Amino acid sequence: MSLDYSKDMVQFTKEPKLVELDNLISKPMDTNPSRKYFIALAFTSSLMFLGFLCIGYTFYFGIGAWGNNQTIAWGFGITNFVFWVGIAHAGTLISAILYLLRQRWRNAIARFAEAMTIFAVICAGLFPIIHTGRPWLAGYLIPYPNSMNLWPNFISPLDWDVFAVSTYFTVSLLFWYLGLVPDFAILRDRAKDRIKKLIYTFFSLGWRHSNRHWRDYEKAYMVFAGLATPLVLSVHTVVSFDFAAAILPGWHSTIFPPYFVAGAIFSGFAMVVTALVVMRKVFDMENIITLNHLEKMNKIILLTGSMVGYAYLMEAFISWYSGVPTEQYVAVNRAFGNYAWAYWTTVSCNVFFPQFFWFKKVRRSIPLMFIVVLLVNVGMWFERYVIIVSSLHRDFLPSSWTYFTPSVIDFGILIGSFGLFFTLVLIFTRTMPVIAMSEIKGIVEGAQPSHDGGAH
Amino acid sequence: MARSNNLHSVAAIFDTPNKIIKAAEKVRDEGYNKFDVNTPYPLHGMDKAMGLSSSKVGFVTLFCGLFGGSFILLFMWWTLAKNYQLFIGGKPFFALPAFIPITFEITVLIGAVSTFIALIAVFFKLPFNNHPLHDTDYMKTVSVDKYGIYITTEDPKFDKEKIISLFKSLGAVSTDLIYLPKQEKFSMFNLKFVLFLIFVAVGTSGSTYLLLNKLMYITPFDWMEFQEKYTPQETSLFFGDRRSMRTPVDGTVAKGFIPYPYKGIANPTEVLSNPTIPTEDLLKMGKKKYLTFCSPCHGNFAEGDSRLNGQFPNGPTLHSDKIIKYSDGMLYHIITNGQNAMPAYDLQITRHERWAIVDYIRVLQRAKNAKNSDLVEIKKESTTNGQ
Amino acid sequence: MVENIDNKNMELERDPNYWQGFFSIQKDPEFDKAKRNEEKKISDNDNSGLSRRKFLALVGASAALAGVGCADYRDKGEIMPYNKMPEEISLGNPTFYASTCNLCSNSCGILVRTREGRPIKIDGNPEHTVSKGKICARGQASILDLYDPDRLQNPLRKTKEGKFIKTTWDSANKEFFKVLESAQGQIAVITHQINSPTTKKLLDDFKKKYPTTKIYTYELFNDSIRNKAWKKCYGTDFYPIIKWNEAKVIVSLEADFLGNDGNKIENARLFAEGRDVENIKNFSRLYVAEANMSLTGINADYRLKVKPELQYEFVMSLLNELNRRDNLELPISVSNFSLKTFAKNNNIKEDLLKHLINDLITYKGKSIVFAGRSLAEETQIAVNLLNEVLGNNNLYNSSESFISNSELNSLDDFNKLVSEMNSGNIFAVIHFDSNPVYHLPENMGYKNALKKVGTVVTLTESANETSVKSNLVFAINHQLESWGDAKTRTGFYSLQQPVISPLFNTRQKEAVLLNWIKVENENYTEKMYHSYLMDNWKTNIYPSLNSKIEFTRFWYGALNDGVVTTNEKEKAKFSFDKKLLNSLSTSPKKSDGYTVIVKESYVLGDGRQANNGWLQELPNPMIQSVWDNYASISIETAKNLSVKNNDKISIDTGNGKKEYPIFIQPGATNNTITIDSGYGRTTIGKVGEGTGFSISGLMSNQPKFTPWIFTDAKVSKANGTYTIVTDQEAHLFEKTPSENIFAQRGILVEGTVNEYKKYPYFLKEEKGKGNHKSPEIYPEQKELYNGVKWGMAIDLNKCIGCSECIVACNAENNVPIVGKEQMEKDRRMQWLRIDKYYSGSYDEPIVSSQPMLCQQCDDAPCENVCPVAATTHTSDGLNQMVYNRCVGTRYCANNCPYKVRRFNYFDFRDHFKDGYQKEEVFDLVYNPEVSVRSRGVMEKCTFCIQRIMEEKASAIRENRGIIGSNVKTACQESCPTNAIKFGDINAKDSVFAKYRNHKLGYYALEGVNTKPNVTYIAKLRNTHTEES
Repeated sequence: MSLDYSKDMVQFTKEPKLVELDNLISKPMDTNPSRKYFIALAFTSSLMFLGFLCIGYTFYFGIGAWGNNQTIAWGFGITNFVFWVGIAHAGTLISAILYLLRQRWRNAIARFAEAMTIFAVICAGLFPIIHTGRPWLAGYLIPYPNSMNLWPNFISPLDWDVFAVSTYFTVSLLFWYLGLVPDFAILRDRAKDRIKKLIYTFFSLGWRHSNRHWRDYEKAYMVFAGLATPLVLSVHTVVSFDFAAAILPGWHSTIFPPYFVAGAIFSGFAMVVTALVVMRKVFDMENIITLNHLEKMNKIILLTGSMVGYAYLMEAFISWYSGVPTEQYVAVNRAFGNYAWAYWTTVSCNVFFPQFFWFKKVRRSIPLMFIVVLLVNVGMWFERYVIIVSSLHRDFLPSSWTYFTPSVIDFGILIGSFGLFFTLVLIFTRTMPVIAMSEIKGIVEGAQPSHDGGAH
Repeated sequence: MARSNNLHSVAAIFDTPNKIIKAAEKVRDEGYNKFDVNTPYPLHGMDKAMGLSSSKVGFVTLFCGLFGGSFILLFMWWTLAKNYQLFIGGKPFFALPAFIPITFEITVLIGAVSTFIALIAVFFKLPFNNHPLHDTDYMKTVSVDKYGIYITTEDPKFDKEKIISLFKSLGAVSTDLIYLPKQEKFSMFNLKFVLFLIFVAVGTSGSTYLLLNKLMYITPFDWMEFQEKYTPQETSLFFGDRRSMRTPVDGTVAKGFIPYPYKGIANPTEVLSNPTIPTEDLLKMGKKKYLTFCSPCHGNFAEGDSRLNGQFPNGPTLHSDKIIKYSDGMLYHIITNGQNAMPAYDLQITRHERWAIVDYIRVLQRAKNAKNSDLVEIKKESTTNGQ
Repeated sequence: MVENIDNKNMELERDPNYWQGFFSIQKDPEFDKAKRNEEKKISDNDNSGLSRRKFLALVGASAALAGVGCADYRDKGEIMPYNKMPEEISLGNPTFYASTCNLCSNSCGILVRTREGRPIKIDGNPEHTVSKGKICARGQASILDLYDPDRLQNPLRKTKEGKFIKTTWDSANKEFFKVLESAQGQIAVITHQINSPTTKKLLDDFKKKYPTTKIYTYELFNDSIRNKAWKKCYGTDFYPIIKWNEAKVIVSLEADFLGNDGNKIENARLFAEGRDVENIKNFSRLYVAEANMSLTGINADYRLKVKPELQYEFVMSLLNELNRRDNLELPISVSNFSLKTFAKNNNIKEDLLKHLINDLITYKGKSIVFAGRSLAEETQIAVNLLNEVLGNNNLYNSSESFISNSELNSLDDFNKLVSEMNSGNIFAVIHFDSNPVYHLPENMGYKNALKKVGTVVTLTESANETSVKSNLVFAINHQLESWGDAKTRTGFYSLQQPVISPLFNTRQKEAVLLNWIKVENENYTEKMYHSYLMDNWKTNIYPSLNSKIEFTRFWYGALNDGVVTTNEKEKAKFSFDKKLLNSLSTSPKKSDGYTVIVKESYVLGDGRQANNGWLQELPNPMIQSVWDNYASISIETAKNLSVKNNDKISIDTGNGKKEYPIFIQPGATNNTITIDSGYGRTTIGKVGEGTGFSISGLMSNQPKFTPWIFTDAKVSKANGTYTIVTDQEAHLFEKTPSENIFAQRGILVEGTVNEYKKYPYFLKEEKGKGNHKSPEIYPEQKELYNGVKWGMAIDLNKCIGCSECIVACNAENNVPIVGKEQMEKDRRMQWLRIDKYYSGSYDEPIVSSQPMLCQQCDDAPCENVCPVAATTHTSDGLNQMVYNRCVGTRYCANNCPYKVRRFNYFDFRDHFKDGYQKEEVFDLVYNPEVSVRSRGVMEKCTFCIQRIMEEKASAIRENRGIIGSNVKTACQESCPTNAIKFGDINAKDSVFAKYRNHKLGYYALEGVNTKPNVTYIAKLRNTHTEES
């Protein structure tokens, strides 16, 4: 998306009036988008279509279109899957865990982060399906009654994935939508033109801001937050089981669940910051999404980044400590073998660069943090690539060792997934309030009754 | 939307949170209970003011969640350990540790979904887009920054004037009468609608047919239903006669199929000798084959009593001295070669089976004219079996 | 009350900005109407109409109904039964035919498995005296040639423009017969070696009919030198058959007797008999002295690197040394040859030679020295002498000997022929299923000479380099469509019978000749040659056998067995003729400069079958290369030439530069370059064309040393590279950081014979280290596998790494051909592979081969991870693959520690050479009992489950228990050395059980604790240890 710093923004003289908040937040929906927006949309969506083209090609000719081979049976497909699932985690973390921790600052970014969760999971969910040899049979992974009494193998981590990811998607979607209902109602009542009104009416389900509803609403919101918190931790744990539960040296490791969760939050926050930095500029929301918000997130990035670094060390240490020759070989080979370049890219991007966030300057400088989070995104993708490919390409039998060379299609699909993600983000920013209106209103000065019940 | 003249409720608008709280308390104290407050965001202390109990949503989550979890665990046990047992990686059929992740996920899923549904459908009674409050300026205001309260006509103590004055006394910015919307109706048999139904029906059926029977069988879809190999009796476009099954070249000899040397000779001077030893299994098979191929003409006990009652010339009895005197080889020759009206059976019955039949015929002949010595034999057997 | 409302509104009117909307209510006409009819309630659910929701519900319902109504099932096609069922065929069961393979001069006996009259697999004929139920890879793969879409399907004639158009047999015959009639000059018939007495007779008849005919016979690789030498020494025609199994010490000089020298199937079998751990006392020891790593070299206990032209010096210095040790009165002086200097010059370890000498002396008469067929005559004579003085000649099989129906012509004969052709004396050349343009040395100029010939006729199965140079091309039958017989040795004849009538408009080559012989008095019939064959037997062969049964029954019996044993005995008296020995040179020659060796390819032979995908994709046993040949050189030589793998070098053996890509071969002798034959076909078909490089450019019509070895060649680096695709990563053939990783990981366990003799359990201790037994979460599955449990044992002492089993597996299990570029991407599909591991130093590598197939683990890692339970365990211990259930997540492949799972990345049948394997005729080759996997499906070895099911079926039919030994897997059947054992693990007293619980038995990667059902019998190397 294109940045425009020249555009001067609405300044609030005093605490914002509720009406002003509404106007500001729903401005993208009321006004017609600028040319820049369309250029951005055109760009992302053309990437998306490129991706779909490649997927179509793969679907027709088979996975042979990719770089995978008999030894390295998983390549970009699963790498991208794990990457996107990781991205998704930030949203839920912000909306659920920070809610439970009563972190007020979350309100400003929660809606947007949740939206990113949904879109990231959509991108992620794409890959397990298209990476199968016969995608049209993907339904076999779901337990449905059939005349053969054939059921999925509930022992397989891949089947756990199916349940984990679909649950994750459903729950975050519902959570997100629940938050959106009152805002849709607001938009419905603001809407001038008929079509808009119709749409918003449909989605607002006829919400009436009734207090009898607010009561259950708030309770339900709390409940959802409560459910989402363990869920978000479980999802990436299950994803990590794909590797941890296998016997392959380099995968077969108990450290994976915590390591993956940390990594997921890490990459997720990085992605949220990446997008927010752009969005708050484009839609003049600097005083809603303030530098403090970003700084807080950078702190979390710093924390999780260090955790990931610790995990890297532990992995190496354990493989040495285990005394299993194959494990040791893999550890060495990772750092100094064919894929050393990928490994060191990972380490530098994920462990080294985030350390700059120790300095307040860096944390609070938009361009600097932007660079760092971009690097983190790259690094986290490579982390998954290293785990999958470098472990597979040197496994037990030297006779089957080989090297992985991705094909053009591989890259096409990777790029396409980014296209899809940002296209969805762009559409989202124009069709729904990127900030939870009713939540924000609830926390502005004087929005709540004073304690004496206003008796004067 | 168009309004009827049926009053739904009387509403009032307040402009500060404190006022609305006060108003709510007052209305509650006045003894109204069919009233509600609309605020753009949840107001703290409003529940107390309105005298609402705390929400029950949590229980739905709890119960549905627990139910979902236990159900899926039971389900997994049933599928893998009960309904269709499979040996997977040397694990027991019910591998509990491996079932835990899914159990957890489903607990959360069912919990969340049920909560949502309950919330929308049961607690909120939504979607309810033709509620009288909608499209009123009242609604438009409370959804932005004002706080509204209304009392419906269903309230037993409903009295318009009283309520209006009450509101005014509480310092309402304004009061308002809200009328019920009019019911909109469609006729069942209006032509457009029927046409639409038909269109939908045809459209769906057509697309379904194409999808299930055409689209799903073009490349790349492959169900391995049709494979390139040739199973018996399959057609092959390669050969002229479209048969994938070929007949061997004349003069060749397949292993164990040396041509019968006396083929076509009516009464040969020499015949083969019987290579088989009549074991019980062999005789059992001989009987089976005899009843299949021979009994129709020669009768179940080879007495020449055809089962075809005269539709086909009866075969002779096989108990005649002539036939009893025949060597095994001769009987074999007749089966293989045919005789008089009897066709050759060499293509229907394998060589081994033919010998088995010969042996069985011997058994029949023996049984037919048994000697006393046989009785002794039988006695012996029965006694041995007895012990 | 209405007024009041109005009043209210009036009041409200004063109120600012809000409630504008309310006046509308007043002005609304509806409002007034409603006023008149007071309080008329309208209930929500008024069924006179239909609410939006109901409306939508109805639409949905009608859609759903319509949808469900339109499911339909697919037509499965019609059934085409027999009109008259042949006796030998019963649907769904295989029928077997004994026949003879005539692809090379060995003429092995084969057993053809047919289904519903279609041949689907070729195995060795168990009753055959020589092949004993085994047959080489080429023989097995020839089933694919039968169904090759690129075969010639009609006779062709060349037009003026030089294009080939299809013609009818009659016109083609007429045309050529006219030529024959007008006998203005000689007719040359060029053929490969004739093994069939009847064909021989036919050619004689042809000569009778056309007296000017001369027959020219050639084989690209042959034993003529060795035989000549033998004749000089002993007077008899043929070098004798050797009893490898009785030898205690085998010294092989440049002789690849396990690979391509002689009848490798027989050699391998006999050799393996001498390497039996059950009979450890007479465990033979193999010394190999060779220029480049060969299949025999791989299996050597001691390997010496000797350039071929130095072999003579080597033998002589051996003689000298032996002579010094204990005086064997040698007829010639060998004093100029010193083993020491020889060892020094070729840096061979002293003690190694010491061992050799000691062994030769201690095992006098039980050792054999064998010189390769490519070595020079004097070397052969020297070797004969060596064997003579050591008294080894009782290892010569005196009861049997080779027999030839046709004398091979020398290169000079062909040179003469070419000059004759050039001088125009030859008016017709008949290529009798031969391809001289490709096979004969390029510089002989045969190709151009053909232009001078009036009419050139080629009888061939598929277009080749010669057929494109001829005027008429007669499409002939495949050997499975042909009648015939063969006699290669004393003691037996073998018979060939067709198993299917010709697929195309082709005729048997003999029948075509026969037709030309009797053209005026008899027209061609299918039976023509069949009756000719029978007559020949009746009149010539049958009487000599003086059998009691009358001819037809004898004939049928013979066809049934496929082989007729006679009681003729070879009374060979080997008396060494010492006179010629003074012809031997008595002083060593120097040799510097490059030596080029042309070698018969293990997979393609002389290239006749280059269009056979199975063979092209069969990894070369040395470096697992596929689809190409290459110049194999040592690392030193590569350094000197400053080239690395895949770089091209240009070689000049005296007739022009030829370029070849190189591949570095550990254990190769410096300054020698070895190149396989059979590649570089320019005309043959989609598959074979453009694979590898032809060697005919290297060969010479006047060879200086021998026809296959060229000394003092000029070699230089050429520019450009060419990718050689290997099945294993190239670095695995070099010294790498991962050196010996396979020993350390417990993939390979090896020991020495002496260790084993001393303490048979010595491995069981060793195995412990490196393997940690992990505690298990789940209880042991006791109730499993108490019935039959299938298992395999592979004896690595017998496995020579010939990869015959791979072809058998391909044929049995419908494994597709993937093509070079897919092999390069490492997407091989073979279920079974022979892993090669090089250890030790670069110059003296120790090579180990290990057949790797699905280990059918009890705790199979692949099963746990399959999300759809497409791979599970049977109750008889098989790790089965449910193709139809497989979605293709490939998780199993990742989790398989043995990497034996194969994924169909494409529909390879469609993807390879644009649908070559999708041709109608190609489908006939598939085994009906095995499903043809679609793309996106994972597949792997399941111990030939279809054969196990056959056994189950017959067990039920004969109501008995399943007997493990009744099932033979395809690889087991084809293994020439019987290294593969298969059976029921729970049958404790079976032969198989002995191997399953063998002292030397171990599991690959035991540390992973997958509990495999494949046991490997550790390889023992028969080397000297210090104390012994």
